[in-house]
Amino acid sequence: MNLEILMITAFGGSFLTYLCGKVSSKVRDFFAVFISLILVVFISCFYGKSQTIHYFNFFNLPLILTINKLSWLFAIAVEVITALSVIFSLSYMKNKEKLDFYYFIMLVVNASMLGIVLSGDFLSFYIFWEIMSWSAFLLISYNRGPALKAGMKYIVMSIIGSICMLVGIISIYTSYGTLNISQISSQISSASSDYILLISILFLIAFGIKNAIWPFHTWLPPAHSEAPSPFSAVLSGILIKMGSYGFLLILYIIAGLNLFLELFIAHWVLCWLGAITLVISTFIALLQNDAKKLLAWHSIGQVGYIILGITFGTNLGFAGGVFHIFNHATFKSLLFLTVGAIEYRTRGVRDLNSLGGLIKKMPITFFGALVGACGLIGIPLTNGFVSKWLIYKTLILKGHPFLAFAALIGTWGTILSLYKFIHNIFLGQLPEKYKDVKEVPFSMQFPIVILSLIIILFGILPGIPLKVINSIAVSAGFPSLDVSIWGIASEKGALNMINIFATVLIALVLMRLVFQMGEKRTRISQDNNYAAGSYIPVDKYNYTVEFYQPLFRMIKPYFRDFVDEFYSKIVKAGRTLSDRTRKIYCGDLGYYVTYIVLFLVILIAIKLWGKVW
Amino acid sequence: MDRKNILKWLKEPGKMGHKYSLWAVYFCTGCGIIEIPPTITSQWDAERFGVIPVATPRQANLFMITGYVSVKTLKAIIRTYEQMPEPKYTVAFGSCPINGGMYWDSYNTIKHIDKYIPIDGWIAGCMPRPEAIFIGVTKLWMMIDKGAATGYIRYRKNYKFYRRNQEKLFGKLPWPPLYPVDEKENKNG
Amino acid sequence: MVIKIIEFIFSPFLAFIIGVFFLGLFRKIVARIHQRYGPPIIQPLLDVIKLFHQKGFSHGALFDLGLILSLAGSIVVVLFIPFGGICPLKSSGGLLVILYTMLFLPLGIALSGGEGANPNISIGISRKLILCLGYEVPFLLILLSTMSFYRTISIVDIVNSQKNFHWTLFSPLFLSGIAYFMILPAMLGMRPFDIVSAPQEISSGPAVEYGGKYLGLFHIQHSFSIFIMIALFVDLFLGGGENIFYFFLKMLTIFFIMVLIHSVFPRLRLEQALRYLWKWPTIFAFLGVIISKVVR
Repeated sequence: MNLEILMITAFGGSFLTYLCGKVSSKVRDFFAVFISLILVVFISCFYGKSQTIHYFNFFNLPLILTINKLSWLFAIAVEVITALSVIFSLSYMKNKEKLDFYYFIMLVVNASMLGIVLSGDFLSFYIFWEIMSWSAFLLISYNRGPALKAGMKYIVMSIIGSICMLVGIISIYTSYGTLNISQISSQISSASSDYILLISILFLIAFGIKNAIWPFHTWLPPAHSEAPSPFSAVLSGILIKMGSYGFLLILYIIAGLNLFLELFIAHWVLCWLGAITLVISTFIALLQNDAKKLLAWHSIGQVGYIILGITFGTNLGFAGGVFHIFNHATFKSLLFLTVGAIEYRTRGVRDLNSLGGLIKKMPITFFGALVGACGLIGIPLTNGFVSKWLIYKTLILKGHPFLAFAALIGTWGTILSLYKFIHNIFLGQLPEKYKDVKEVPFSMQFPIVILSLIIILFGILPGIPLKVINSIAVSAGFPSLDVSIWGIASEKGALNMINIFATVLIALVLMRLVFQMGEKRTRISQDNNYAAGSYIPVDKYNYTVEFYQPLFRMIKPYFRDFVDEFYSKIVKAGRTLSDRTRKIYCGDLGYYVTYIVLFLVILIAIKLWGKVW
Repeated sequence: MDRKNILKWLKEPGKMGHKYSLWAVYFCTGCGIIEIPPTITSQWDAERFGVIPVATPRQANLFMITGYVSVKTLKAIIRTYEQMPEPKYTVAFGSCPINGGMYWDSYNTIKHIDKYIPIDGWIAGCMPRPEAIFIGVTKLWMMIDKGAATGYIRYRKNYKFYRRNQEKLFGKLPWPPLYPVDEKENKNG
Repeated sequence: MVIKIIEFIFSPFLAFIIGVFFLGLFRKIVARIHQRYGPPIIQPLLDVIKLFHQKGFSHGALFDLGLILSLAGSIVVVLFIPFGGICPLKSSGGLLVILYTMLFLPLGIALSGGEGANPNISIGISRKLILCLGYEVPFLLILLSTMSFYRTISIVDIVNSQKNFHWTLFSPLFLSGIAYFMILPAMLGMRPFDIVSAPQEISSGPAVEYGGKYLGLFHIQHSFSIFIMIALFVDLFLGGGENIFYFFLKMLTIFFIMVLIHSVFPRLRLEQALRYLWKWPTIFAFLGVIISKVVR
C-alpha cells in the first residue's frame, strides 16, 4: 500500500466521477460513493505505519509524501466526513443543476485535503493548499446570488493568507536551502529567535485566516451559510481544521515544544486570541436568526477552544485540543447535515423565525440534532465533554482562572444558542404549511445516525481515540497521559466515564419505574393546549421571534461584528481612493497633453536643481 | 379532619391525597371573585386546608363556579373543565348557578349550569363568606370519603347529554369532543 | 462493598426527603410571616401523593422522556456531592463533572417543555436560560477562585481542607463567599429571582402543561435542585460537616435565611436581575479570583 497510489486514487477518482457523469447520473453517484468509501478503507490500512515517498522532482526540489500518526488522524477524519457528506448529497442535490461539477469539486477538495496532511515538504503543502482553497471557492459560490459575494470574501482573505505563507516558504528556502519539513525541524533550533518569530507570524497569519481565529474570521459566516449544506458540513468540519493542522505543524513539529514555550507571541497571544474568539463568537451566535449562520458562528467559537487547547503547552491541553478537532468535525457536520435535511423537506426554509414543531414529523433528524447539540455543549456522555474537560482541567490546574473563565462562559453561550436552534426548529407548535412534511430518505438518515453513534460511543469510551492522541502527544515531546478505555487517570482528579454512564443508566431506569407508578396518562394533540380558556389561534401560538429578547437588548450593542465593520471601512476607503484616482482618465486629449508636459517639467526641474541622479 | 390518620393514608392514599390537597383553578366567574382573595390570604387562610390557587387547569383538581355564569364565560368554563386531569371536583357558589338566582329573567346568563357542567356541591349564600366556603370544603371532603363526589364520572358517562346541551347553546364548538360521541347523535348538533 | 451500595441508595433518598422537608418548611415559614397558620410541614409530600393519583396529559414521547432525563440527572448529581461523610462517587472528575451534569436538569425540562408546544413554556424556558447565564458569570468565577485557591478540582479535597473551622468563608476568599450568598436566590429560583415560574405573568412557566404525575415529578425535581444548590454552597464555603446532622443544620440555616429574603422582596424583571447579577456579585467574585491568584 503506497501513498502515491492513495493520492492517485483520490485525484483520479474525482476526474473519473466527472467523466461518469457524462454517461449517466446513477453511475456517477455510485462511483462517487465508491471512491470515498475506498479511500476510507485505504487510509485505515495505514494505521500505525509511517512511510515517506519521494514522488516528484520540481526544479531540483524533491516533493515528498509522508504519513505519521498525526497525519493519519487528520486523514481518517477528512475521509469519513467527506464520505458521509457525499452519501448525504445523493438525495439532497437530486434536483439541482451542474451535478457533475459538484461531485467533481467535492472529491477534489477531499483529495487536496488529503494531500495537505500527507505532504512532507512545503512546496507540495503549498500546492495542495491552493488547490483546496480554490476548489472550496468554486463550491461555496455554487448556488448563485448572495453566495457569489460570500465566495469572493472567502477567496480574497484566503489569497492574502496564501501570499503570507508563500513569503514564509521562500524565506525558509533562502535561509536553509531545503523545503523538507523534517530537515527544517532539525535545523531551525539554531536560528535566532527573531527569525523564528518572523516565520511564525507569517505562517500563523495564513493558518489563522483559514482557521478563522478572531481578527480573521469575517469570511466564515457568509461562506458557510451560503454553501450547499453537505459542503457546509465538509467546510466547517474539516476545511477550517486544515488551519489547525498548520498550527500543529509549525508549533510542534517544526519549532518543537521547548522553543514554542519560549516564544511569547506564539504562546500567550495565541491563547488569549483563542479565548477572545470563543467568547465573542458564541455570544454573537445567540443573536442570529438564520440556522446556518448560527452554526457558522459556532464553528468560529469552537476553533477558539482548539487553539486554546493546542497552544497552552501542556499534555492535557494538547490532548484536549487535538481531540476537540476530531469531535468538532463530528458534531458540526452532524448539525449542518440536519439543517440540510430540514431545508430539503421544507423547500429551502432555514429561517429560525418561521419553523417550529418538526419533531413530530422528523424524529430521526431531531435525534441527530439533539445529540449534535449535546456534543457541542459538552454534556457528559458525549465526546465533546471529554475534550472540554481536558482543556478546563489543564487551565485550572496551571493557575489561569481567567482563561478558564472564558472557556466556561463560552459553554453557556453555546447552551443558549443551541437551545434556540433546537426549539425554533423542532419544538413548539407545528405551522399549518408544514403539516405534510415527511421524514428524510434513508441516504440522508444514514450519515446522521452514524455521526450520532460516533459521538455517543466516543463519549462513553473516550479511551479509543485518546490512545492515538496520547501517542501523538508523546511524539511531540509531552509526558504521557495515563489513558484507560473509560477515561484518564491522573493525580488531581481522574475522569472515569464508566461511573457516570452506569449511574445515568441506572437512574434513568429507576425514574422510568417511578414514572410507571403514577396513573395512566392520556395523549393529547398540540391543539389541546392551555390558552386561558379559549381555543388556540392557529399558527399564532408559537414563540420563536426574538427568543432571548431581554438578553438581546442588553448585549446587542456590544456583540456586533466589529472586525467585519472595520474591514468594510478599509474596503470602502480603498474603493473611494481608486474612484478618485480614476478621474485622471477623463478622455479629454487636452488634459492628457497637459499631464505629459507637467511630468516633463517636473523631471527637468529635478534634474536641474535636485541631486537625485 | 383525619389528616393525621396514617393508617388511612396507607390504605387509600389516592382518596386522602385528593381530599387534603385540593388545588383550585384561579378562575372566578361573576360576583364570587370578591370572596376568593380573602379566602386564600391571611385572615381566612385556605392554605391550611391544602387549598391553593394554581394558574392553569392542567395542575388543578377543584373548579369553583363562583356566582352567575354568562353565556360567554360558559364557553371558557367548559374548555377549562375539559382540560383538567381526572379526578376533578366542581363546587358552585350562590344561588345563581342553581336556578338563575337574581338573574332569573336575563337573556345572557345560564339558569341551570348543571346541564352543561356536572356540579358536586353547592354552597348557599349570595356570595358565601369565607367561613361558608370552608364548611363547603369540609363537606366536599366527606363526600370524597364516601365516594359520592362523582361529577367527573357522570360527565364521562353522560357526555352525549352534556355535549348536546353545549352545542344547542353555542352551535358548532371549535374543539373536538372529549370522549367519543356516536355519529348519529351529532346530526342534531 | 455493602456499605457502598447502601450509600448509593441512601443518598438520593435522603436528598429527596430533605428537599421535600425544605419545601414544606418554606410554605410554613412564609405563612407564619404572613401571620396565618399555613399548611402542615409534610404538605408537599401529600401534594406529590395526590399528583401521582391523577390522570395526566402528555403531548408526545419527548414530554415524558425529558422529565425522566432531568430527574435522572438530578440523582446523578446528588451522588457526586458529598454530604456529611457520605460521597458515593468520589474520584470521578470532580467539580467539573458536577457542573456539567447539572446541565441535565434544565435541559430535561427544556426539552420536555418544548414538546408541550405552549408559548408560555417557551418564554419560561428562555427566561430560565437567560437567568442561568446571569448567575453563571459570577458562579464560574467563584468556582474558579475556590479551585485555584485549593489547587484541585475534586470537591472531596476541598471539603477535607476545611476541617476544624478553617472554612473558606473565614479564609482570604470570603469575598467569593459573599458573592455566592448574593447569587444563591437566583440559583434556587426564589424571590427576588423567581421570574421563571411566575404564576401571574406566564402562568407558571415550564409547568403550564404538566398535570398529574408529570407535575409530581416536576416537584420532586424542584426539591432535588434546592438540595443540590444549597449542598454545594455548604460544601464549598461552610466546611461540609463531619456527619449528616451538622451538614443538615448548616443547610437549614442557609435555607432559613433564603426564605426570609424570599418573603420580603418583590420579583425583579429579567433585565434588572441581569444588571444586578453582573454588577456586585461579579465584582466580588472577580476580586476573589485575583486574591486567590495573589495568595497562592
